[in-house]
Amino acid sequence: MLRVVRSAIIDAPVARVWEVLRDFNSHTEWHPAIAHSQIEGGEPSDRVGCVRSFVLRDGARVREQLLTLSDRDWRMTYCILEADVPLQRYVATVQLREVTDGARSFWQWTSTFGAPPGREAELTRLVGVDVYEAGMRGVARLFS
Amino acid sequence: MIRVYTSSVIEAPAEQVWTLVRDFNELPAWHPLIVDSRIENGHLADKLGCVRAFRLRDGGFIREQLLTLSDYDYQCTYSILESPMPLSHYVATLKFTPVTDGNRTFAEWSAEFDCAPAQERELAHNIGQGVFQVGFDALKQRFARRG
Repeated sequence: MLRVVRSAIIDAPVARVWEVLRDFNSHTEWHPAIAHSQIEGGEPSDRVGCVRSFVLRDGARVREQLLTLSDRDWRMTYCILEADVPLQRYVATVQLREVTDGARSFWQWTSTFGAPPGREAELTRLVGVDVYEAGMRGVARLFS
Repeated sequence: MIRVYTSSVIEAPAEQVWTLVRDFNELPAWHPLIVDSRIENGHLADKLGCVRAFRLRDGGFIREQLLTLSDYDYQCTYSILESPMPLSHYVATLKFTPVTDGNRTFAEWSAEFDCAPAQERELAHNIGQGVFQVGFDALKQRFARRG
């Protein structure tokens, strides 16, 4: 089992950052790798169990399902149902915390998954750098 | 039950901050309000259940007991056994989490306690700002990056 952790400080109050992140289909607005995305079946993007189906700029397809959504502690968990990239048993959590000293937000993005033998380093880098770091920079830009 | 939560960002790696702060007897080394501290009964400062007895700059005397210490996720939890503050059932947690972007530290200090309703606001402010934020300000200053 591989584990990836990335964290950053976003220069905006936690309520504002969460307003963006809690929308399971908002990644088209802030993640540079996403070409287009939709919630299947026209369901609300904050309905636990909903599935987002999206295509990356390189053409790869991914389907992810929302497993947990908490407005109380600013947290969401989701998993990959289907993906062109061989991330196995992938479960990710987005967690925000309030930085009371300065009205900023702490954002931690973590996941665990399996990978085919020999591809561990490549996929760990893909998730940590291309997905999480790029996504966090994208959200930071929304508030800069 | 009152909850107090204070958090901040320190410009140093979490393991470096933790190395300084994990010693339950070393508050005087980094917190400006505390002048001297000792661990009762000659116990080690990382022995769970040990009690630190320390004095504040204003003369106040406090005894606190170590309930949790984790070198894995850089956190400790402790309770107040004795203090001049009009509160009870006080349990606090100090936690440091790495911020991978910039190799910094997200610092959280929280407490829960009971007190008379008329004193809630003042105690919450004194603890959250007067103790926790003052401690974080000292850590921020100590680890400030230059240039």
